Amino acid sequence: MKDIFLDLSARSVRLNLLRSILASIGIVIGVVAISSMGMLGTNMQLEVKDQLSTGANTIVITPDTVRMGPPGSAPSSSSSSSDITKTVLGKIRIATGTSGTVIPIHRTNTQFTLGSVPGRASVYGLDPDDITKFLTIGNGTNIVGINDALVGSTIAGNFNLKLGSRIRIGSESTGQSVARIIGILDERGMSSDNINTDNAIVVSDDWYVNQYGGKDEYQQVNVIVKDIDTITDVETAIDTKVNTDKKTPTVRISDASSRLSSISSSLSTMTTFILAIGAISLGVAAVSIFNVMMMSVNERVQEIGILLSIGTEKGEVRRMFLYEAFILGLLGAVVGGASSLVMGYSVVSAMIGTTAYFFLPESLAYIPEGMIVGMVVCLVSGLYPAWRASNLDPIEALRSE
Amino acid sequence: MTGNPLIRLAEVTKVYHLESGDFTALDHISLDIGENDFVALMGPSGSGKSTMLNLLGILDVPSSGQVQIAGKDVARMTPLERTHMRRDSIGYIFQKFYLIPLLSAYENVEYPLILKYKKRDTTGRAAEVLRSVGFDEALGAHRPSQLSGGQQQRVAIARALVNDPGILLCDEPTGNLDRKTGLQIMDILCELHAKGKTVILVTHDPKISEYAHRVIELEDGKIAS
Repeated sequence: MKDIFLDLSARSVRLNLLRSILASIGIVIGVVAISSMGMLGTNMQLEVKDQLSTGANTIVITPDTVRMGPPGSAPSSSSSSSDITKTVLGKIRIATGTSGTVIPIHRTNTQFTLGSVPGRASVYGLDPDDITKFLTIGNGTNIVGINDALVGSTIAGNFNLKLGSRIRIGSESTGQSVARIIGILDERGMSSDNINTDNAIVVSDDWYVNQYGGKDEYQQVNVIVKDIDTITDVETAIDTKVNTDKKTPTVRISDASSRLSSISSSLSTMTTFILAIGAISLGVAAVSIFNVMMMSVNERVQEIGILLSIGTEKGEVRRMFLYEAFILGLLGAVVGGASSLVMGYSVVSAMIGTTAYFFLPESLAYIPEGMIVGMVVCLVSGLYPAWRASNLDPIEALRSE
Repeated sequence: MTGNPLIRLAEVTKVYHLESGDFTALDHISLDIGENDFVALMGPSGSGKSTMLNLLGILDVPSSGQVQIAGKDVARMTPLERTHMRRDSIGYIFQKFYLIPLLSAYENVEYPLILKYKKRDTTGRAAEVLRSVGFDEALGAHRPSQLSGGQQQRVAIARALVNDPGILLCDEPTGNLDRKTGLQIMDILCELHAKGKTVILVTHDPKISEYAHRVIELEDGKIAS
């Protein structure tokens, strides 16, 4: 059976179709904003998590270079060298034992020139034997000679590099050295092992030391554990062995989970923020729905008086106006939900560059969630007008024109 | 009075508290109306006719005194009980018809049945009542705005009758109609009275009041005769 009050509400919406559509557009925008922004945030988190998971079994050890001194004092360096020394590296090797592979890493940022085109990239100096333990050479071979170099996929793509090309590393002021590109690394994205090679040049440790100095001084040491379940034990062993003075630790030790947690927390905060921006538009929509509902009540005062005088219960009058708010909300939510699918896909594609995670449940869940929020906002906006309508004095209402 | 008291007003006073001061619309009115009475309430503007009709229609309660309908004290009833009594026992016919503009003629008559039985009318009762007041069935799907005044009043009478109430309250039922249509409507009310309804009619028109078996004149909130 079709509810007579639902019927009356639907007819009222049809009678004021333009006004109703305009009010619902507010809900459409709100639902699209919330859903699209939610999907964008979730897709970003999923993308980052996926990228970071590639180095999940890696412990990243970096120098604890800057510490705060007593209040009022300037930050000081932990040692004369801010890098991980040969001694510390030895302790790390001892602490790790046979549980994993220790990879010392030289790293800096530099200018380079390919042909006559300048560029800027990170330079990693690695023992050639270590390279294939965590990096994948997509095209070409590993470093053999001292002047051989590998480049990341972004540089290769941007400069349209071919194997065998010469690259001049360094600036004219600090001196330049030429290396020969013999391999191009696969795209790696933002990895949790803090080695981001897409826009980097990888050279042998000997070449690096020749160019930049710093023999036996490393900017980072990675430990790839054999069994991921032992990662905490290995971290504890390294911490105990190296950071003997807990007040002034020598190195910082982190792994994918702590980095992932930190990044996820940041992304989550950002997602909440952009969702809040979407919620503002729903707030505006709520005011619009409230306004339309109040207009509807004011225009139908005499009709409400008729309904009440011939025996309609207050609750039935309330229901009639809540149905009207529900219809506006449903209209806005359905159109908003469908638009969110298109808009969300476009935004995710444009902002993240991939839609690989778009159709995952945790991403698509924002569409029904946005629709429900839109409808709840509509119903809440209709509460007061519905209450007001049901509490009109029927005698006064009948007298109104 | 031609029957048992169906409606009893005992020392009923209604005072409106206005910004300009208190206004006594009804002043210690006592009155019995029996079953199957046909009563005309007459009097000049401001004499208290509408206030009395609102009290009889349970749209309002007295400031003091007692209004009893079918033996029940209106002031002691809950708002929901009053609503149900309005729905089931009282039919209201207005001068301005007051049909629900969003519903068709047929739906306007069906509406009180839906309120009472919480379902659409499948018994043909609404159509039957519409026929009984001489409404052209072909116009059943028309909205009130598409009907003549006479047709609208017929729909309004059918709506008032559809739940078979014992009391019909008529507020100037011919006031917005031409003479001929007005007389047709009065014939319908007489017919309903003949079938056992208690009819209470508010009118300014002495010719209309002649249809009633009893005329009550109000003046300044008191019964003049």
